[in-house]
Amino acid sequence: MPGWIGWLESTRLSAGMRDITWLWPACESLHFMGLCLLIGGAGFLDLRLMGFMPKVPITSAKAFMPWAIAGFAINLTTGSLFFIMAPAMYAFSAAWWAKVFFIVLAGLNAMFFETTQGARVLSLGPGEDTPVAFKIVGAVSLTSWFAVLYFGRMLPYIGTGN
Amino acid sequence: MLQRLQDSAFSQWVVGSDSLLAYPTILTLHTAGLALVVGASVVVDLRTLGVGGAIPISALRRAFTILWIGFVINLLSGLALFASEAADKGAKPVFYVKLALVIAALAVTSVLRRTTFGAADDSVGPTGAARVLAVASLVLWGGAIVAGRLMAYI
Repeated sequence: MPGWIGWLESTRLSAGMRDITWLWPACESLHFMGLCLLIGGAGFLDLRLMGFMPKVPITSAKAFMPWAIAGFAINLTTGSLFFIMAPAMYAFSAAWWAKVFFIVLAGLNAMFFETTQGARVLSLGPGEDTPVAFKIVGAVSLTSWFAVLYFGRMLPYIGTGN
Repeated sequence: MLQRLQDSAFSQWVVGSDSLLAYPTILTLHTAGLALVVGASVVVDLRTLGVGGAIPISALRRAFTILWIGFVINLLSGLALFASEAADKGAKPVFYVKLALVIAALAVTSVLRRTTFGAADDSVGPTGAARVLAVASLVLWGGAIVAGRLMAYI
């Protein structure tokens, strides 16, 4: 076991948080709400990028991104609290690493879109079909977030090494 | 009767099978369905409240299709999860709280769909009453999520 995982689990912070019995279920509830904000907001833009709902201006679909980012922030915060409370359960789980992989993939995908395709959004006329690059970015994003959900929910069941 | 349901062959397979296809996959389907139902609700509710104001209301009717697909997934997966532990879950007050919140949220969503998203004319914006329904929908779904989570604890 890498030393810092055991160290983190033995800290007073970790133990003190575990002692607060309502903290874990409260964080879980917030984690599920954040998931709905994230997949609702980001999934809407993803579907639009893939070419669905052509009457929705892409710039307007992006108005939901702050809500998706708020959902992500809620989940990064509550997720970090889970990790502090039970670091070994996550650090040694293949499902957790798969989840982290898809979060990073979704993030890089969004960064690629914003940095290289952002200007093309403005030149797209209303009702015009989206370019192939948009469709790929949308599909990768949507798939990644559902993969994050899948590996998160399957955490207790797969890749736990027992 | 709930005990007999819990003892049925199907219920025993859901809980007892070593297969990842049993309980874990049904549980994951229930979570994916939640993302579809509440994710789609978040979009139509926020639009009703003014987010993405340039989006024609009628263009969001497709979101309700996603919402109902998610609902069917969760009705079926929810029935399977309930059957697997019927006697235990049926004895929990919080389960009935969750059911009531889900039914109320769906009722509010249906009214919002009929009144606000059913109009033929896009130039008519959401009314004050529609905004109240949108806020109610978000609060009810949040409550249903909390009640659903608490079923694992109380």
